[in-house]
Amino acid sequence: MELAVAIIILLITLIVLALAVYLIATIVELGKINAGLSQVLDGVSEIATKTAPVNGVLDAINRTLVAGRDLLEGLALKKAGPDAAGLVESCFPGEGQRFLQRIGRHGAVVTIGEDYDRGAAILNSLLGGPAPPAPSAAPAAAPAAPAAAAAPAPQSAPAPSWRSGGGRISLRPSSRGAKGSAPPSVPGRLSAKGSRPWE
Amino acid sequence: MLILWVMVIVLIVTLVILAVLLKGILGAARSITPTVTAIAGVAAAGSKDLDAVIALVTTQNYISQVVAGLANYGGSLDVALPDA
Repeated sequence: MELAVAIIILLITLIVLALAVYLIATIVELGKINAGLSQVLDGVSEIATKTAPVNGVLDAINRTLVAGRDLLEGLALKKAGPDAAGLVESCFPGEGQRFLQRIGRHGAVVTIGEDYDRGAAILNSLLGGPAPPAPSAAPAAAPAAPAAAAAPAPQSAPAPSWRSGGGRISLRPSSRGAKGSAPPSVPGRLSAKGSRPWE
Repeated sequence: MLILWVMVIVLIVTLVILAVLLKGILGAARSITPTVTAIAGVAAAGSKDLDAVIALVTTQNYISQVVAGLANYGGSLDVALPDA
């Protein structure tokens, strides 16, 4: 055998050995990767399973909160009238304009501030003081009259039948039981499931 | 005879190139393994963190109760306060 042929055979053997060693090592590494990806898949599956009900729960929470917000906004609009947007703006800066948009009105929002004189006057009137003043004519209320304000006739400082004497207000049922005057709780009760006053 | 020596040279070059390429493939495969292991650890930790998601159901119940109380309170205010 010539020397060149022997070297060729040796080189071919080395090539095959190199292919075998490196490919076997690569296969082993790919096996480790496969096992690691299986663990990843298990973790991701758990995450997907645990987060599956989140959307429904959050949607339900949002619906409940929106119903509560609509309830409070309807009450504010019904009781404060043109001052409602200003009250909302005072409590939550930046929300007054959105409140106007939600009730379909336009105009500038006049911030009431920390003290709401008409509200204080209403409370005083409920305690036996003079009648509260009319709500201030804010620009936001100018375009259209709210449906809520048009539906019930405005009551000037009504004296609830459940109010006990002496200027003390009690919302407890026991305070009215003596005189037997049932409170108009059902007609006046606002329901979160009901329509908004302006709709 | 000359062709045999040329073939020897070609085989030597082929062996070197093949070794370099295979070494690169093996290095890339080995570099993936710790990354996958780290991702698996993060996924497991994330899954464990999400164990508290079930508390959202309790939160939902509390919020429903709060809004129901709010509705009752608003009804009382509706009766107590005069309309605008």
